[in-house]
Amino acid sequence: MDTSSWWTTAWANPKALSASLWLIIALPALGAVVCGLLGKTLGRTYVNLIACATVLGSLFLSAFCFQAVTDPSALVLSPASGTGVRFALAGDFGTWFSAGSFVAHYGLWVDRLTATMLLVITGVGFLIHLYSTGYMEHDEGYWRFFSYLNLFMAMMLTLVMADNLVLLFVGWEGVGLCSYLLIGYYYTDAEKAWYGRKAFIYNRVGDCAFIVAMMLIVVTVTAYAQSPANDTQLFAWKQRKTMWTRAVADPGPLNFQVLEEFARVLPASPVTGNTNVLETAIPSGPLAGFSYGGTLTVIFLLLLLGATGKSAQLPLYVWLPDAMAGPTPVSALIHAATMVTAGVYMLCRMSPLLVLCPRAMAVVAVVGAVTALFAALIAFAQDDMKKILAYSTISQLGYMFLGVGVGVFWAAILHLVTHACFKGCLFLSAGSVMHGNADELDIKRLGGLSKTMRWTTWCFGIATLAITGIVPLSGFFSKDDILDGALHAHVAGAPWVGTTVYTLGMVGAVATAFYMSRLFLLAFTGERSKEARTPHAHESGWVMVAPLVILAGLSVLLISHGIPGLINVLARWFPSWVQAPPGEPQTLMQIFLKSVFDVSDKLALQVKSVTLGHVAVPVVLLYVFGWVVAVAGGAVAYVLYKRVFPARAGQPVPPLFAAVRSFTVHKFYVDELYDGLIIRPIKYLAIGLYRVVDQLVIDTAAVAVAWIIGRVGSLLRYVQSGNAQAYAAAMAVGLLVGVGYALFQVIAR
Amino acid sequence: MNLNGQEVVFYLLAGATLGSAALVIAARNPINSAMSLVATFFFLAGLYAQLLAHTIAVLQVLVYAGAIMVLFLFVIMLLSLTDLGEPVRRVTFSRVVGGAAAAGLLMVLVAGVSRWQATSVENLPPGSKAFGTLEAVGGLLYARWILPFEVVSLLLLVAMVGAVVVAKPRI
Amino acid sequence: MHLPGSQVAIQNYLLVAALLFCMGMLGVLVRRNALVVFMSIELMLNASNLTFLAFARDRLDITGHLAALFVIAVAAAEAAIGLAIVIAVFRNRGTVNVEDIRTMKY
Repeated sequence: MDTSSWWTTAWANPKALSASLWLIIALPALGAVVCGLLGKTLGRTYVNLIACATVLGSLFLSAFCFQAVTDPSALVLSPASGTGVRFALAGDFGTWFSAGSFVAHYGLWVDRLTATMLLVITGVGFLIHLYSTGYMEHDEGYWRFFSYLNLFMAMMLTLVMADNLVLLFVGWEGVGLCSYLLIGYYYTDAEKAWYGRKAFIYNRVGDCAFIVAMMLIVVTVTAYAQSPANDTQLFAWKQRKTMWTRAVADPGPLNFQVLEEFARVLPASPVTGNTNVLETAIPSGPLAGFSYGGTLTVIFLLLLLGATGKSAQLPLYVWLPDAMAGPTPVSALIHAATMVTAGVYMLCRMSPLLVLCPRAMAVVAVVGAVTALFAALIAFAQDDMKKILAYSTISQLGYMFLGVGVGVFWAAILHLVTHACFKGCLFLSAGSVMHGNADELDIKRLGGLSKTMRWTTWCFGIATLAITGIVPLSGFFSKDDILDGALHAHVAGAPWVGTTVYTLGMVGAVATAFYMSRLFLLAFTGERSKEARTPHAHESGWVMVAPLVILAGLSVLLISHGIPGLINVLARWFPSWVQAPPGEPQTLMQIFLKSVFDVSDKLALQVKSVTLGHVAVPVVLLYVFGWVVAVAGGAVAYVLYKRVFPARAGQPVPPLFAAVRSFTVHKFYVDELYDGLIIRPIKYLAIGLYRVVDQLVIDTAAVAVAWIIGRVGSLLRYVQSGNAQAYAAAMAVGLLVGVGYALFQVIAR
Repeated sequence: MNLNGQEVVFYLLAGATLGSAALVIAARNPINSAMSLVATFFFLAGLYAQLLAHTIAVLQVLVYAGAIMVLFLFVIMLLSLTDLGEPVRRVTFSRVVGGAAAAGLLMVLVAGVSRWQATSVENLPPGSKAFGTLEAVGGLLYARWILPFEVVSLLLLVAMVGAVVVAKPRI
Repeated sequence: MHLPGSQVAIQNYLLVAALLFCMGMLGVLVRRNALVVFMSIELMLNASNLTFLAFARDRLDITGHLAALFVIAVAAAEAAIGLAIVIAVFRNRGTVNVEDIRTMKY
């Protein structure tokens, strides 16, 4: 057999893999249970071993799944369309619950998108578990930590492998819970515990919107299923619609395959060119009268709100910087690589429906771009290393949302993957710095670490270059793929969106370069600050440094998936191994994820919601422009922090600059705004209700009942006189009544 | 008024019974109450005999008047209760209620009895012994009612043991 | 075997029994001496015996005699135990006046 088929034939039987998909989730869940219940008695070594081993097991299985979905014979029969879906593994593990006509299954689905996410989650997860064994070596509650971390892995894996929205929501909530548990890990500190609650509450607001969106989807889908099948005249479409209607009843209306088929069936048939079904009104059910298009837009705005809660975008991002109160591995895993990407993943999963609503896509893109810039500006003035990285995460997630909003889903996913690597590396390096400097986080009190912490400095440096988008590193290509897609995109109904978000994204790139360079320069270069806690920093052990090196390496190597046209070059050099697809040059990631996003791309073309326009500027110039922008930002930071500020040390700061800096340091007072507008009124309302309704009305009623019973009892006790003859007299009276009644009955008869 | 002999005997015996019963509950001295009770038992035995319940009449005299009343008298004398009188009869609420209950019950019972229709049977089943004799009662007791008989003997055993245990000054 | 009905109407016996029963009940509820209360209880039991026997005579069913026999046996047992209790109470309290034995008072 030829060498190319060695890679594309599955190493493990796809059917066996499909049936054992649940193992990927079950292994970390089992690890969580064991570490949680028996961790204290098992001891540090065993807990470390079990926690890392379960994740390693999931990693192996995920690797097999990833490889299996490159096999064209990995075929799954979609219940919604009746046709086979290639490059996918699916396992249905039974009906979970049914309520009336709604049904939900325990179904797991692995296609190329899920496989990518699986590798990211388990790979970065394993590295962070390994790192944590070193980081938590002096902590007493290590067994709790690993239990929560494993539980988080299980929940996140459920999220990405779910084949319907309900099971995805289970994972969604589960990761929110684990985030709360892990942020508030140092629960003896009241402030840190409060930040855990803050994260959970803001997540909950998003979850509320998510649930409403799910309900609306169910109503819309079932209403369309009940409508007569003659809204499309083509016979083949009618067949498909009948089959789909049956699927709505059985795997349920929230199954992703069902939703994808819904998106395909809903717009006008391309052959007959009927009136656009999107504009017609929903025929029956609670939403009767509203148009399909309008309802879908509302649904996606609600889903976006849910995603902003989970992925920390405007307006619900405020929990993420405070979540840095948790241990650093938690920040790396949850708030950089995995949980916060759940929103992006969810929107990509819903992409077939998303592309039918250009208005919703415009909102997503704008929210992403504004968040990217906003967070970058806040990061300018922060002094806490982890807070800077937190705002950087918010900013980069904004880029991913930007990508989703303009329709380049593959680029958003690529940026997700590269971001996981370099942001994970950055956070772990920050943890390493903390470990070596007695938990010092203020960059003004660090400095000169490049002399003593060589490995950490190098890894941090590489990751910084990646995030700012300097050329031979992956971050450049993934960010630029997004921004190029934005520039070329033409969103129906809002043609200004493409260029606007491109501009915002570019300004954000400058800002990113600026603050990341500031961070690196102040913390790692120069002289050691006089306010440092320890006189010398020491490098961390291999257990902590090895994951850093691996992640930094991945940040470099992943350019392979981002370079457009690479596949054409490889096809010319290794024709027997690689075949290039026709058409304009595409990146490896785009080709890889084609099997997932092809539907969305075709639908977008069909309904003309997002189209690729032409830009007069050639691609290479755009890349050069992006690189110049990044370098410029870095240069400004260098000049300011190495030349200008040290030269002016000791001189008074001009009041305008001081005011601006104060405004920025206080995060633009957004937290205070929320506090005043929303939290305080609710709190006072709650206090009022408590004082009036609870204490005055209900407590009084309860106490009154008890008092009455007490008084009645005090009165009744006088019956107990102790006189046996009195008791006998009472019995005699009873006897008399009974006998009299019996006699009366007899006589009356 | 036409009274036959049986009725005369009945009225005499009934009057005596009720009279001595009244003395039982009215007498001040418990010894007087006990002796009146003995008399009541004798007159009741007479009534039983008139009802052709010969065996039961004899047992009434033997057991009730002969054993139980002796026991009562023994206890009265053991506790030297002969001197205890009840100088004051107090009228309390519970006593009034009790008296009213008793009176009410009497009225109800009388009303019930007066409405009852006798269902007289005049033929014994063939092959049965004479009515009320020891042979007849014994035959039924040791044939069909052997189990209650044994249980009652167990009950008497329990009563004996219980009485001994309760009355001992030190166990 | 033919046995002619009683020449005295059975209702009379029942009336006597009812009177005896109510007199016994009055004694139980009114008298203060515990022994007199016991004797009144014996009166009540005898009243029930008389009732049983009257009905047995009326129906010519000898089962009534057996019931009366068992009542006598049970009365004997009850008298034994009851008097033992009276003795024990007298030993503890020094009195058999039921109004003075009120330990179950509130």
